[in-house]
Amino acid sequence: MPFEALDFYNVDSLLTDEERMVRDMVRDFVDNEVLPKIEHACRDGVFPDEWRVTLGEMGVLGAPLKGYGCPGLSYTAYGVICRELERGDSGLRSFASVQGSLAMYPIWDFGSEEQKNYYLPKMASGEWIGCFGLTEPDYGSNPGDMITRAEDMGDHYLLNGAKMWITNGSIAKVAVVWAKLDGVIRGFIVEDGDEGFSAPEMKGKHSLKASVTSELVFQDCKIPKDRILPGVKGLRGPFSCLNNARYGISWGAIGAAQACFDSAKEYSLSRIQFDHPIASYQLVQNKLSWMLREITKAQLLAYHLSQKKDAGNWIPEHISLAKMNNVDIALEIARVARDIHGANGILDEYPVMRHMANLESVKTYEGTHDIHNLILGRHITGIQSFTRHLS
Amino acid sequence: MNITIIAETSGNQLHSVTSQLAGAAGSLGGTITLLCPGGVGESEASKISGVSKVVSLKGDCFSSFDSGAWSAAMTPHCEGVVIASSSPTGRELASQIASKLGVPVVQDLTEIGQDLKMTRSIYSGKAIETSTASGSCVITLRQNSFESAGSDGNAELITVDSTSEVSVAVKEAMAKAGERLDVSEADIIISGGRGMGDPANFSHLNEVADVIGAAVGASRAAVDSWDEIPHSMQVGQTGKTVNPSLYIAVGISGAIQHLAGMRSSKYIVAINKDPDAPIFGVADYGIVATWEEALPSLKEELAKL
Amino acid sequence: MTIAVLLKQVPDTTAKIAVSEGRVDQGSVSKWSTSPYDEYALEYALQLKESGAGDLVAITCGPSRSSKMLTDAAAVGVDSMLHVEADTSEMDSKQIQSILAAAIKHCGADVVLCGKQAADTNSGSTGPGVASLIGAACVGMVSEVSMDGDGFSALRGSPSGNERVVVSKPCLFAFDKAATELRRPNVKGIMMAKKKVIEKVSPGDLGVDIGESGIKIHAHDSPPEKPPGQKFEGAESVPTVVAKLREEANVI
Repeated sequence: MPFEALDFYNVDSLLTDEERMVRDMVRDFVDNEVLPKIEHACRDGVFPDEWRVTLGEMGVLGAPLKGYGCPGLSYTAYGVICRELERGDSGLRSFASVQGSLAMYPIWDFGSEEQKNYYLPKMASGEWIGCFGLTEPDYGSNPGDMITRAEDMGDHYLLNGAKMWITNGSIAKVAVVWAKLDGVIRGFIVEDGDEGFSAPEMKGKHSLKASVTSELVFQDCKIPKDRILPGVKGLRGPFSCLNNARYGISWGAIGAAQACFDSAKEYSLSRIQFDHPIASYQLVQNKLSWMLREITKAQLLAYHLSQKKDAGNWIPEHISLAKMNNVDIALEIARVARDIHGANGILDEYPVMRHMANLESVKTYEGTHDIHNLILGRHITGIQSFTRHLS
Repeated sequence: MNITIIAETSGNQLHSVTSQLAGAAGSLGGTITLLCPGGVGESEASKISGVSKVVSLKGDCFSSFDSGAWSAAMTPHCEGVVIASSSPTGRELASQIASKLGVPVVQDLTEIGQDLKMTRSIYSGKAIETSTASGSCVITLRQNSFESAGSDGNAELITVDSTSEVSVAVKEAMAKAGERLDVSEADIIISGGRGMGDPANFSHLNEVADVIGAAVGASRAAVDSWDEIPHSMQVGQTGKTVNPSLYIAVGISGAIQHLAGMRSSKYIVAINKDPDAPIFGVADYGIVATWEEALPSLKEELAKL
Repeated sequence: MTIAVLLKQVPDTTAKIAVSEGRVDQGSVSKWSTSPYDEYALEYALQLKESGAGDLVAITCGPSRSSKMLTDAAAVGVDSMLHVEADTSEMDSKQIQSILAAAIKHCGADVVLCGKQAADTNSGSTGPGVASLIGAACVGMVSEVSMDGDGFSALRGSPSGNERVVVSKPCLFAFDKAATELRRPNVKGIMMAKKKVIEKVSPGDLGVDIGESGIKIHAHDSPPEKPPGQKFEGAESVPTVVAKLREEANVI
């Protein structure tokens, strides 16, 4: 059965022609090149390199960035791209999120003119893969206390420390790494092959299996002086990147949810038990109608957020709400869809369990569900509750 | 009413559909003229019941197909309602003749009723259209939808020398490639499941497929069990989704994952020795038999067509 | 030289078709697409353009929604677009062909590519009829075309296999399914398409008086329900089933 994207309120009719064409292009890529290969990619634990090539050819990497060979699309188009990619697999969307929002964006916003001209065209074309090093083994939700340090050695910087849970790490040519220089968080561009830098892959994941996850290890890693990002100091740097990535995730999760809904609907209509399709039973209809309700709400949330993003009248808390809500309902929809599929739901013949397992990661990365709750709590009350030190 | 039939040819012979065109024309009543392009099958044509006149068009322009040249030579001999076969060449000729006559063409009719009420399927069979013509028109008829005329006719045979400018030159003719179609391309698919017992037995499916130009598919069970059966043949949830006109499932029980890939086929034939196999639930025609018994007979019957 | 490709927007082949008040309910169609055979024509038209054969214009005749399809064509490299705005749903073949022939002349095209039939009407009348009207050589069932000296070389299907044929312009190629990959646009192409303006005209602007349709459509109906499945015992039933496939189902 061909995929029919659930769009109950016809929210996509609000897209511009350009955004609709981008949607159709990416949807076609996912149908024809991703879905036929995704289960094998997951089984083998690899990110197929031809996807990198096609993403570059389509010209969707770093979608909302303008100039330096970047696409210059709207944030709405970027959201649509994320949604269509994640309908294929969260790992694929993660690749694009990290490349665009976490690696290209900081160079575009905080880099020198030379850095932008040198890195961005090759990253937009997919020739160079980027990754983003913020999280450390002992500092996840609390990046401000990171251990990784940079030292000014006169003619170069010396980097020491380790980053963990780094998407694209082992396949990246370019790593944007956040480290403390004289106690202040700064961004550094580390390249594959730099002395003292290694990126061993983390194996054994039950989630995002078609995505590369790595550690980044810096042992007296020598970085030329022109590789510091001159334009930003402090946590504002990495957080601006995360805002964009989280925005993309709020759209992406809808794609995963749509895929699960579509599969559950088709399955329930064709699965006969007690002489009738299980779709004819009230308990199943209740589940399907709940999915429809949540997906429709998520779509409206994401669309309205995209308009704010494009108009520039947004605050990070708006993004927290959308990321938290949409991933949360997508995960729950995946679980319920798995339930509707019965035993068949655990097979890789159906996409639901893969999406379910992926979304467990998506719920945790880029600000856990709970951290986003705390961000909103602080916004409502004016009292931060991340730490016990009230200040 | 005058009716002109464009004979359908197959190589150097009259195609059997020509007699069906005459049968349909006969039901309309009127004087029937039959045009034989290149003179092919003229004597057989003159024996088709109900045909009053056969015009045998001879000329170099008929040596290879060129709808422009053929229609230019034929149009002067077309009178009244013009009927052709809805084969690709029949449609092309019909459309060109209609254009030269300045009348509309209606293609691929499956029924003709009183007052030339025309029935055809549209949207790939998802809807049926009925229409009538206010004046003259050219129509093409679907093969095997109309009764053949008898063969006890005795039509007047007129030979006409035609000249027409040929603008499509055939440089090279290539015989049909022996390569088998991919399941996603084919209009007819015959698939085997684990019930085939052994991958070597797929050769029996191949033989049937060759007779009717079908692609050969497989269920996941067969693909997973036997290395000889490649994933590219797999029809189903994780294989290909197909919607051919005819899907023949042999030794396939009909797991829900398989049904997901083929249930939108227009017609489904199931051959399975287990009368309770779920595949019979979606089959239009089910045959409870082993493949060993059914396939030779199937091949023989299809070869007769 | 100008190359024209004729495109028609049709309900996507996966879309459900509903009938309401004696006509296919176009309003209920969930997705509109370029007719599949036309997409092969477009692909080869782009290849001809890229091999230096000339500029490529995409032409459609249909309601205003069809413009989207022309913008899609622009995103993969069509140079210009002509949209003859008209509701063709009750037109006969003669009317549609006269509009398209006038559109082709309007664009000055002498090489025309189109699909062998549209996925809605399933007729296959347009290509050959238009060829006749513009005095072009007509090649049907085409699966490949390329420049060959001053003319063109095409591969066409025939009952006995494939034939390589050569024609000179003016000529028209009606495409069957081809072995080639269809191209996907990219963001650059989509941005370019935004800047290209679709020329919109009415049949009257082209100087065409289409007159009255010679065919009156009485009704569209849903196809009759398929009879329930029939089950036969034993291999001796094979001849019966084959006969039914031929006579009831009409699929062999």
